[in-house]
Amino acid sequence: MITKTILEQIEGEASLYFDMKDNLVDFVTIAFPHFRGMEKMLEGKNAMDALVITPRVCGICGHSHVLASVRAIEDAYKNSGFTVNITQKASKVRELTLVLELIQNHLKWIYLVLVPHLKELCGSKELLNTPLKGAYGASLATKILAIFAGQWPHSSYMVPGGITSDFTYVDLTKAKSHLQKLTEYFETETLGVSVEEFLSFESCKDFASLESDFAKIEHLLIDLGMQKKGHAKDAFLSLGTHEFSHAAKVKGTKLFKVVSKYIDTQDAYAPDEKSYAKNALYKKQFYETGPLARCMAKEFKLIKNMHRRFKDSAYTRVMARIYETAHLLAFCKKLLDEIDISEVSCIETIALKNISGIGEGVVEAPRGPLIHRVQIKEGIIKSYKIITPTQYNIASGTKENPSPAQQAMLHCSQADAKFIFRTFDVCSVCTTH
Amino acid sequence: MADRIEGVKKLFTSKSARVETNKGDAYYEKLFEKCQARIEELKTQQPINNRLDITDVLEMQGIERRDFLKWASAVTGMLMLPASFTPLVADAALLMNRAPVIWLELSDCAGNSEALLRSDGPQIDEIVLDIISLEFHETLQAASGHQAEKQLEDAMETFKDKYLLFVEGAVPLGMNGQFGTIGASGETMHDHLLRVAKHAAAVVAVGSCATFGGVPAAAPNPTGAVGVMDVIQGKPLINIPACPANPANMVGVILHYILTGQVPELDSLLRPKFAFGYRIHDNCERRAHFDAGEYVEEWGDEGAKNNFCLYKVGCKGPMTFNNCSIVRYNEGVNWPVGVGRGCIGCSEPDFWDKYAYERPMADAKIKAPTGGVEKTVDEFGLGLLTAAGIGIGIHAVASAVAGKKEDGGEA
Ligand code: SF4
Ligand code: SF4
Repeated sequence: MITKTILEQIEGEASLYFDMKDNLVDFVTIAFPHFRGMEKMLEGKNAMDALVITPRVCGICGHSHVLASVRAIEDAYKNSGFTVNITQKASKVRELTLVLELIQNHLKWIYLVLVPHLKELCGSKELLNTPLKGAYGASLATKILAIFAGQWPHSSYMVPGGITSDFTYVDLTKAKSHLQKLTEYFETETLGVSVEEFLSFESCKDFASLESDFAKIEHLLIDLGMQKKGHAKDAFLSLGTHEFSHAAKVKGTKLFKVVSKYIDTQDAYAPDEKSYAKNALYKKQFYETGPLARCMAKEFKLIKNMHRRFKDSAYTRVMARIYETAHLLAFCKKLLDEIDISEVSCIETIALKNISGIGEGVVEAPRGPLIHRVQIKEGIIKSYKIITPTQYNIASGTKENPSPAQQAMLHCSQADAKFIFRTFDVCSVCTTH
Repeated sequence: MADRIEGVKKLFTSKSARVETNKGDAYYEKLFEKCQARIEELKTQQPINNRLDITDVLEMQGIERRDFLKWASAVTGMLMLPASFTPLVADAALLMNRAPVIWLELSDCAGNSEALLRSDGPQIDEIVLDIISLEFHETLQAASGHQAEKQLEDAMETFKDKYLLFVEGAVPLGMNGQFGTIGASGETMHDHLLRVAKHAAAVVAVGSCATFGGVPAAAPNPTGAVGVMDVIQGKPLINIPACPANPANMVGVILHYILTGQVPELDSLLRPKFAFGYRIHDNCERRAHFDAGEYVEEWGDEGAKNNFCLYKVGCKGPMTFNNCSIVRYNEGVNWPVGVGRGCIGCSEPDFWDKYAYERPMADAKIKAPTGGVEKTVDEFGLGLLTAAGIGIGIHAVASAVAGKKEDGGEA
């Protein structure tokens, strides 16, 4: 029998259709019932307008969208014979604000999604439900972001040739002090140990003595057997080129080269309800994207160790998101120290009306690779295509070829399956745009 | 933090920031009495659902009463009430847990919920999330599916005709509403909204999608999206547009409601005048450059490095009514013009189609907002043209002197 469940609290809604056998999940199809049609409304508009409209695809990862947009437009410049150069300063600030968006997302996910559902599942009193903690950390991160980007969410301060903000030394100092506060908050409230020490951990033994939120989360996951559940495809994809990540396809633990042109979409398999989502595949195959994929591609020791023991279980997936938060905080500090304020923010480019061609922008968003593909004619958008990370993870495939999330929910109780579904950090508004 | 509060106070109360809404002593005396009576009555009521008491939270957070009162006086200024109302506003903040709020998300990107999570003030996260009685919010609450539906039903029943309904997101009407359905029954967003709005005390549309259709309604409007005011009738309705709406304005509306039991004074587009009574441009930090005819011509040029006015790279501040140049975003850290990006007029109807980004207004065939006879809105057309005319006139001379070629931009 197929039963329908609605999942909220994922920024929008998803419908899961569970097919149960002996009280265990036999198959699940996933439908997303909302649609706004962002790609359509971009057609016929000035290409620069994409820099304002695409951040509005998503209230949580708008920054990833604006970076993908600006990269796509700059690529179109290049493909029509005009290379756009940007300074180290501009590229570092773009990277910094992107990373801060990832951090605020992860912090909110830990305290607004993971903790409440973990508690619900195990009825534990050990972990306090403290959504405000997540909100506090996230607001610190977005405060730093706003110094460079003007506001968050929905900032649009990137333009072909660089960034529009000409910040001062005082701004930079402010950003550093906010980051210091954010790092201390994460160390005391979440990790129970310094970021530096945490990043040096190589195996679970290293954090056995901790008594922090992180340690409690880890215990509860083990109590629930999440190290043995939620296995997806054991195949990962990390695509965007950044200093904090590494573009690679990972099968098991082996790394392979990737080329974004092999990414394509197909209609979701949703026999019970109209779904506005499309599946994303690499060479016609499903891959898991997001923090775990990035950690595997970066070959972090602790996560590789967990993967060796528990493969791509729900446990490893959750741990990777927390681990990545620490990694990104350390990376932000490095970036802020490297920014050279004397460089220019933006290098003038030739007018967009001279540009005709196609362009692609690929970035790592909180949940994985985000791709914008644009076709421009004399500065006007002919077509625009957006492929978001949730489309890989939460694709809805057939029983013969399930997506990572579908595979991960198999043979579990429905309660476990719903929790596992959330370990992918689902975003509905992004998926259907 | 005390500095920050001082700053906000100064900004809110500074002369240039105020729209002339002084209604005379007699009016305020009457209002004062009314608010006082209301506050006294609210005090006799029990807080809803044992929400935390704000006094406890303030104490827990180590916020001194003096700082709290400063904040209250800043908010009093923002709400455009005389300073004598400060103690009442403080009392109203203490009674936030008497106002039940139901929050619906329709066709949107969740950006306004995100903004709310980062709202402003003395640890206002606590004030907003713990103190106001957020009885239902699909994204922020733990319950989902049938459980969530039950929670909504309960909240609607318990607080019948008393709850404030906040709506985020547009209402897609195309294909009989099938572009957006909610819950296990597959109810369309339109039906869902009508059902929940029926017994609301007032409806607050938050963000440009909920107010005027926003991005989902941008041409060609693929889903037939409209704003809340196009489908809700016979209810007090407040619009708080902008993309995202400023949390300070959401908190302001709730406070005003607690204080007076009424919706604040609205303009012809149903926007509270305290927030939308003046233009970005009136309080912009780059205004002196506008008046002097000093403009950024292209990003990356000398003008950009010198923080000149952004009008020529498409700033719509001269015709956008909003308080972001004063309140700013992310706890007052910054705002778009602060980082050299023009305002895109996100708090105006059809902002996407009309105020599209890097075309200067003069080239963008924008008509003054029509409908209604709200004074400032109607006057703006004329004022704007003269102001821009003078600015551009000076600019032309300046450019000629500098030997810089005039370029019409990309449009
Ligand atoms: S046009 Fe824009 S940047 Fe220039 S003064 Fe007005 S609001 Fe400020
Ligand atoms: S500056 Fe303009 S576009 Fe930006 S948030 Fe304010 S009203 Fe909206």
